[in-house]
Amino acid sequence: MIRFYFCLTLFTLLSVPEKVLAHGANIQYRQTSAIAIQAKYDDGVPMKNAQVVVYAPSDRATPWLTGVTDDLGNFSFVPDADPENAGNWDVKVRQAGHGSITSIPINQSKLTNVSQTQTASVNAGYSTVQKAIMAGAVGWGFIGTALFFARSKSSK
Amino acid sequence: MHIPDGFLPPQVCLTGYALTGGLTWYSLNQIKKDPDIQANIPKASLLTAAFFVASLVSIPVPPTSVHLIFNGLMGAVLGYYAFPAILIGLFFQAVMFNHGGMSTLGVNAIIIGAPAIAGYHLFRQREHLQGKRQILTKALSFAAGAGALLISASMFAVLLITCISPDMDVHAERTAILLSLVGYSIQAVVEGLFSVMLISFLEQVKPELLKG
Repeated sequence: MIRFYFCLTLFTLLSVPEKVLAHGANIQYRQTSAIAIQAKYDDGVPMKNAQVVVYAPSDRATPWLTGVTDDLGNFSFVPDADPENAGNWDVKVRQAGHGSITSIPINQSKLTNVSQTQTASVNAGYSTVQKAIMAGAVGWGFIGTALFFARSKSSK
Repeated sequence: MHIPDGFLPPQVCLTGYALTGGLTWYSLNQIKKDPDIQANIPKASLLTAAFFVASLVSIPVPPTSVHLIFNGLMGAVLGYYAFPAILIGLFFQAVMFNHGGMSTLGVNAIIIGAPAIAGYHLFRQREHLQGKRQILTKALSFAAGAGALLISASMFAVLLITCISPDMDVHAERTAILLSLVGYSIQAVVEGLFSVMLISFLEQVKPELLKG
């Protein structure tokens, strides 16, 4: 009797489907190079928890990756080394209607423009003096217009 | 509340340009009827300079920071000159500081400029309403300043919420925009007060400046 039950148990255990036996897991790791971005507003405040969308050169209509920046405005991603994805990767960062798009040239997982390890999107880095000069120049244009039209009638 | 490039579909940008073109044509027509253009252009020019510079000053209002816009004030003081003035100011902001995109210039001009015209008509009601002149001026200038900004903020929020591209997390973006409306409400009060101060000052010192 015991032998019968033993055989029955053995048979049941062995008839278990393969999938259940595959519940073990393993982790593989390797070193790779990533692109890190930092998004800030134009007054220097970082864009924390802003939406990020990355577009690959092979398909600019479909997002390749979406994510969120951290509390300091940082976000990083690993572009794939697919040859059709060599070119300009577009990264769009947006928060409450404000944001920007920047274009990053990448070839074989490396920045094509190696001389600049830190690139910035348009107009991100004017110093206060530069801004003051620009504002002064435009302001003087407006004031000059005002003065021109405010000439007294006799000097026409 | 300037919308940058790449956030709106092209049809919306083109519609913005069409509407701005129409409103600019209408404003220029109204300006042509003005008997004293020579005196009003310096006024418009100086306020445009102030409008341009104001965008460089950011005031921290938690949770974000805001730039003073005072479109209601410009509308009240300049009348129909305000719309081309705001358009020119926005153009320079977009070109020099990337504050707002070039493709969205038309949309931004409508969002900021159209409420300025509304502010003008609101402020003009002080000629038609009964009541003490001083109180009426103060009340209507606050209404013009705050109201114009609130209309601008609402247009900005509605436009962005309806045009969020499906790439983005819609829920998070919607929440962020609604949160920013809180900041804009505070800014509306600040701008209303600023309008009251400036217009009261002009009314005392040079009331003929406000006749336009």
